[in-house]
Amino acid sequence: MHGFISASGRHPGTTRPRLAAVAAACAVALAGCSGGGAGSQTSSQLSLQFPGPPVSLDPAKAGNGGSAVFVSLAYDPLIYLSGKGELVPDLATRWGFTDRTNKVFELTLRQGVTFSDGSALDAKAAVASMNYFLGAGGGLVGKVGPVDKIEAVAPTKVRITYKKPTPEAASTLTQYNGMGNLIGPKGLAAPASLLTSSDGTGQFVYDGATSVSGNRYVYKKNPHYFQPAAQHFDSAVVRVINNPNAVLSAAQTGQVQFASGSSNTASAAKRSGLKVDTAPFFNWSLNLVDRKGAVAPALADVRVRQAIALAFDRPAIAKALAGAYASGSNQVLLPGTDGYDRGIGYGYDVAKAKSLLTQAGYPNGFKLKVLTESVLDVNDTYSQAIADALKAIGIDVTLQVQTTGIAQFTADALSKKYAAVIFPTAGTTMSELNSQIMSGLFNPFGSADGTLDSILQQAATATDAQTRTTRYQQASKRLQDLAWTVPIFATQNVYYTAAALENVQSSVLNPNPMPVGPTADLSWRLK
Amino acid sequence: MWRLIAHRLVMSIPLLLIVSLIVFGLEAVVPGDAARTILGENATPQSLAALRDQLGLDDPWAVRYWHWLSGALHGDLGTSIISGVDVMSSLNSRLGVTLSLLVPSMLLSAVAGVALGFASAVRGGALGRFIDVVSLFGFALPSFWIALILVTFFAVHLGWLPATGYQDFAASPAGWLKSIVLPVLALSLQGITSVAKQTRDTVMEVLETDYVKFLRANGVPERSVRYRHVLRNAAIPVVTSLGLVSVGMLSGAVFIENVFVLPGLGSLATQATLDHDVPVILGVGVFFTLSVIVINLLIDLAYGLLNPKVRVS
Repeated sequence: MHGFISASGRHPGTTRPRLAAVAAACAVALAGCSGGGAGSQTSSQLSLQFPGPPVSLDPAKAGNGGSAVFVSLAYDPLIYLSGKGELVPDLATRWGFTDRTNKVFELTLRQGVTFSDGSALDAKAAVASMNYFLGAGGGLVGKVGPVDKIEAVAPTKVRITYKKPTPEAASTLTQYNGMGNLIGPKGLAAPASLLTSSDGTGQFVYDGATSVSGNRYVYKKNPHYFQPAAQHFDSAVVRVINNPNAVLSAAQTGQVQFASGSSNTASAAKRSGLKVDTAPFFNWSLNLVDRKGAVAPALADVRVRQAIALAFDRPAIAKALAGAYASGSNQVLLPGTDGYDRGIGYGYDVAKAKSLLTQAGYPNGFKLKVLTESVLDVNDTYSQAIADALKAIGIDVTLQVQTTGIAQFTADALSKKYAAVIFPTAGTTMSELNSQIMSGLFNPFGSADGTLDSILQQAATATDAQTRTTRYQQASKRLQDLAWTVPIFATQNVYYTAAALENVQSSVLNPNPMPVGPTADLSWRLK
Repeated sequence: MWRLIAHRLVMSIPLLLIVSLIVFGLEAVVPGDAARTILGENATPQSLAALRDQLGLDDPWAVRYWHWLSGALHGDLGTSIISGVDVMSSLNSRLGVTLSLLVPSMLLSAVAGVALGFASAVRGGALGRFIDVVSLFGFALPSFWIALILVTFFAVHLGWLPATGYQDFAASPAGWLKSIVLPVLALSLQGITSVAKQTRDTVMEVLETDYVKFLRANGVPERSVRYRHVLRNAAIPVVTSLGLVSVGMLSGAVFIENVFVLPGLGSLATQATLDHDVPVILGVGVFFTLSVIVINLLIDLAYGLLNPKVRVS
C-alpha cells in the first residue's frame, strides 16, 4: 500500500490519451502484483521526511536524536523536552529527587491515560516498561544513568534509585532516551509486535499495514489520546528520503511539510519559499583516543595532543566546509548549554604547536593513522580538512575511511587499532557529553582522569544550579587541558518547513524538533 | 517450446542455489552484522552477544545457510531481522512497484529504440547523425543525473508530476501513471539509445545484403522490403541488445528507486544490505536471479519466433 502526496497548489498536465491507454493496460496487468491500498493524503495529514529508517520501532531499541520522531509519534515520554529545551509534564505530572544526594528520584503519573491496548497507565505498567527497556539491551541504555532499581511505590508513583548521583535524571526520561517512552502491557508481552504495530499512549498509533518498511511509516490518530486539544492532524506519515536533492524536491513540491535539509541545498530551499530553521548539533572532533601511546606513542605526551589542538583555524575551516551552517568550536560544550565558558578554548597557533612538538621530541612531526567514516561526513570532506590542517604542523595523516555504516565504524574504533578517530560529539549537558567521551568509540583504551571525575562528582551532588554550572566549566577546562577530544567545528541541523506549518521549534538545548507535544501549543499545526 | 521452458526452469534450480550461496557468503564476509545495526553504536558487548545468540548469528555460516535454505524450499523465506515483516509478503508488496518501473521501461526501450533506430537507418542523413549523438549522451549520462534534471524541470518548475513517491494503481490509476512517468523516463533513456544504435547498425547492414538488392530488383515494394524482410532479419541482434538492456535495468532500478523514493525491491535490497538483514537480502537476490532467468528465456523464445532455424535447433 503506497501513496505519494500530491504537489500542493500544482495542477497535473494533460496526458496523451494513447500513452495513458498503453500505460493503463500495463497497469492492469501489474495490478495483481501490487501491494494494494492507498495511503492517500487527507487534508490534515502531517507529512515528514527523515533521512533513514528507524533503528527499530521498539522504543527500547530505537535510536535517539532526530530518529526519535518514529517513536515519539506513537509513544509519550514521562517528561517532554520542548523545542526550547524546557522539561514539560507529559505522562509524569511531577518529578524530583527525594534525597539530598540526587540518587532517589520519584515521578507522579498522569491519571486517566490509556495505552493503545486499552489498559490504563499506572505505576505498575510504567515500571514494567522501564524495566523492559533496561533489559532489552538497546543502544540507549547507557544514556539513562546508573539505575539501581525501579519500583512502584503507589498506584501512580514510580521511584527510580540510582547507584550514583544522577542530577540529570529528568533529562534521561524525555523522548530521546528510550526509558521514559512507556510501552503498554500487551506490547511488553510480545515485543516483536512492536515492530509492526505500536502500544503507546501517544497522539498516533503506528499503522504497520499501510506502512512500507524503509520507505514510509504511517500513523493514525489515536482516538484515546489524553489531550485531544493537542492533536492537530488526523494522520502522520514519515517518508524516508536520503538523497539531499530528492529531499529538497519533495519539500519544494509540498510532498513533505517538514524535512531535514543540508547546508548545500539551504539556499535553494529559501529561494523556493520554504522556512529554513537551524540548530547547532554535531560538534565535530578529532578524538585522540590512544592516550597512553599504545598505537601512536607520540599521543601519550600531553604536549603533542595540545599541539594538535592548536593546529586548526576553526572559523576558517567551518566557513569553508559549511558556510553559514557551521561555526568554529573549541570546547566540548556548545554556546547556550550549561557550563559553556566563553573564556576558554584551544585557539589557533601553528608556531606554538610546532614548539610543543619539538619539546615533546617530535620536531619533524610523525605519521598518524586516523579512522573516519563516510556516512555522516559525506565524501569525507570534513576529515580531509582536518588531515590537511595537521600537515601544517608536520603530522602526516593517513585517513582510514569506513564506508559500510556507523555500526561497523564503531566496531573498528573499538578494535584499538586506531590512535585517533574523527567523529562528532552530540549532547546538551556536560554529564551527557562526559559519558559519551569516556565510553564507546571515544574511549576504546579506557582512559580515566581522577581530577575530571572529582569535578563531575562535585557537580553531580551540587544542590544549586550555580555551583553545578561552575563545576561544568571546570570540567570543560579540564577536558581542554587533557586534549583527549579536540573539538574543531560545530555543524547545524538544517530544517525545511512549509510556510503554513506552525510551532516547529528547535534550539541548542533540543536540536531535533518533534511534531507532537503534550499540550496544544507544543504540537505542530497548520495555519 | 514447452520443452525449452521446462528445461530452463529445471536448470534454474542449481543456479538459484549457487546465487543464494554466493549472496550468503558475501554477506558473511562483509564486516558487521544485524545485531550491531539493531543495538546501535552504544551497545555493550554483553547485549550484542545476547542478541547475536538470540538471532542465531553466532551459528556457523553453513548452519545459518541451511536454516534459510530449508525454509526457502518450503516456501518460507524467513522474516526480516530489522522490521519483523515476513520476507515473502515484503517482496510481494514491493514487486508491483518494481514491475511498474521495469515493464514500461523495457517496453519503451523496445518500441522507441527500434522505431528511432529503424528510421535512422532507412532515412539516414540528419536523423542518423542525431541518433548517433543522442546515443552518445544516453550512454554517457548516468541515470541518476537524468533523474535529477527531469525532477527539476517537470516536478519542481512545472509541477506536472510528483518529485518522489509511488501511488498504487488500485488506489488511483492516474496517480500511478503520474508517479511512474519520470522514473520510467530516467531508467529507459539509456535503453532507448542502446537499442536504437543497435537497430540502426543492424538494419543498415541488412540493407546492404545481396538478398535485399535481389528483392528490390524483382520489384518487391520498398515497404514490404523494409518491414517484412529487413526488420525481421535485423531482429535477432536487436532482441539480444534488448535482453542485455533489460538485465541492466534490474540494477538501474536500484538507483532509480532510491532517487525517486519508490518502495520497490531495489530500495529494499539497498536498505537490507546496509542493515545486514540477511533474509531480505537473500529474498531479493532470489527474485533478481529469477528475473534474469525469465528475461533470458523470453529472449530465447523470441529467437525461435523470429528465426525458424533456431526453433529447429
